[in-house]
Amino acid sequence: MGATRRATSAAVPTDCWYALTTSAEVGRSLLSVRAVGVPVVLFRAEDGGVAALEDRCAHRAYPLSAGTLLGDRVRCGLCGFVYDAAGRCVSVPTQPRVPLGAEVAAYPVVERDGLVWVWLGEPGRARLHRVPELPWLADEGWASVGGAAEVAAGFLLLHENFADVTQVPHVAPEIAPVALAAAPPPLDVVVTETTVELRRTFPPAPMPPWQAELVGGDTGEQATVQEGYFVSPAVWVDVWDVVGDAGPTARLRFSHLVTPVDEGTSRLVWRVSRDFAVGDRSADERLRAMFADYYDRVRTAMETAQAVLDLDGPGPEVNVAADVAALRVREIVLGMLADEGVVLTGPRRRTRRPS
Amino acid sequence: MTESRTTLREHEGELVVAAVTPVADAVVELRLVDPSGRALPPWTPGAHVDLVLGDLVRQYSLCGDPTDATAYTVAVLREPDSRGGSSFVHERLGVGSRVLVRGPRNHFPLVSAPRYLFVAGGIGVTPLLPMIAEADASGADWRLVYRGRSRATMAYAARLAELGERVTLLPGDETGPMDLKAVLGEPAEGTLVYCCGPERLLAGAEEICTASWPAGALHLERFAAKEAEVPAEGERAFELVLAGSGVTLQVPVDRSVFDVIQDAGISVLGSCHEGICGTCEQVVLEGEVDHRDSVLNEAERAANDAMMVCVSRCRSDRLVLDL
Repeated sequence: MGATRRATSAAVPTDCWYALTTSAEVGRSLLSVRAVGVPVVLFRAEDGGVAALEDRCAHRAYPLSAGTLLGDRVRCGLCGFVYDAAGRCVSVPTQPRVPLGAEVAAYPVVERDGLVWVWLGEPGRARLHRVPELPWLADEGWASVGGAAEVAAGFLLLHENFADVTQVPHVAPEIAPVALAAAPPPLDVVVTETTVELRRTFPPAPMPPWQAELVGGDTGEQATVQEGYFVSPAVWVDVWDVVGDAGPTARLRFSHLVTPVDEGTSRLVWRVSRDFAVGDRSADERLRAMFADYYDRVRTAMETAQAVLDLDGPGPEVNVAADVAALRVREIVLGMLADEGVVLTGPRRRTRRPS
Repeated sequence: MTESRTTLREHEGELVVAAVTPVADAVVELRLVDPSGRALPPWTPGAHVDLVLGDLVRQYSLCGDPTDATAYTVAVLREPDSRGGSSFVHERLGVGSRVLVRGPRNHFPLVSAPRYLFVAGGIGVTPLLPMIAEADASGADWRLVYRGRSRATMAYAARLAELGERVTLLPGDETGPMDLKAVLGEPAEGTLVYCCGPERLLAGAEEICTASWPAGALHLERFAAKEAEVPAEGERAFELVLAGSGVTLQVPVDRSVFDVIQDAGISVLGSCHEGICGTCEQVVLEGEVDHRDSVLNEAERAANDAMMVCVSRCRSDRLVLDL
């Protein structure tokens, strides 16, 4: 394997499986994606598998994605160097011998649940980390709508936003569950070394109108269990289960696939999955439009926050008790960076200490 | 508007002992699984869990495969002077036993480096096993020096020996006492030392590394509390200010900072209450900390910017925490 780690100066965790894109986006053409400060070119090989290569020709600065896909090989559009799916240069136009050491990095790829997970960290460590599982994205009992957006804000801002669901009624009052309008019930935050979970149960309330209409019948007033999961820097999952006396009656999963493009830019692939009105095309269209609007507002809010940070730098922040999940996410990420040898300055909790 | 409470706690779950395997004299390996087959929380090399054993809580390093979401593996030495934890494991846990497991957490993380020197004493080898696997997978240059009383008492010795010349086994009955000065003799730029084992080994490593290695090269983990260092004039009371919460509290001589914080209704993580596990670490903004824990090293103590609130106290009249 020609897999070598490309040095990145971005203060983002690299030892992590990131969902760079969806399976549907990767076909028999060259797709350029930037992640953790590394340019990547993706394509589907003839056997159906996905290959991920460094998107920069070893000869001169030129993206391979601007070249041509020939079978399982990529030809540079500037100099004609040809690389195989493992990143090895197999031919050059001007001489019979391939120059020694002519190769680009090839990154481990796992395709699962309709997502393309790529490992851009230390190559050997890929097998030591689990690829997140989001089965509702592929399961027949669920219907999903989604979209993707480039966000001019750091990935941590996105996670901190997802960690505080009480921001939803401020960002998008009309789609927020009715229960969120009242004082939120007790929040239970459960932490492990690398994950954060939060959970609370809202008292019985009517469903928001859009949901009641799709579920149909008399939905009355039911409790809602809200859960949030920081799975890794690549994944935040929200669970909204409306629960009646006989168990869940309408379940929602919000999958947020976050990829740091660089320190100040992120890519968000979002999916909203439901286990009601499955197969209802008009519901798909309506929800896609509604949540695209919601995530666009999230994007705008995060870009506004990042602009404040860029202009005036990090300042003292007042924390409330409910911020504990977001703060723990920060700690985990800082610990990951410290383990990767990235030492950040400034005050912070040092539960895990860099050397 | 009513106040909505937030509780912060560590993950805990009742796991089932799926296998008990003797791996050396007086050492058993436990394989712990979720009874409903759910995936266990992920962890990284160097992490440990709490086992809640009756009234006792004990810390054991995870020594299995971090990618195995189905099981946690710990190896437990029956300590002759057991405070009850290891004899509980050996006598009362068998296949099918249920045990409450808290964590994992990691205060011994493997920092990325081109070279590692691992030094293990006895059962202290356990956190180093997944570290070695990771160092190897990363293509790092690594060596392990593993000391024990005899080959038969050294858990996983045979498996480690198969890794070849990177591993030096030092069974005391064959090779005599370990010369720690020789093992740590040549400080090397870019090499990190990871050391785990009995207090004598850790103290020796600290002494040698402080004298001759670059600051921050030595990483170690203690699983037995250091002797508590109560000042000769006795404990003193002090004022405690929680800057983030905006409250001022009093810590009397007979109560810990942790207890006083909790009594005030403020959620704070804590586990061992002995200054070993590192769960309750808090950022210190002001005050001269009287460190009593076994987590922080000398440099970290001197920095005076963090403390374990379960055991550590304050020498000045006022302690301000970022909480």
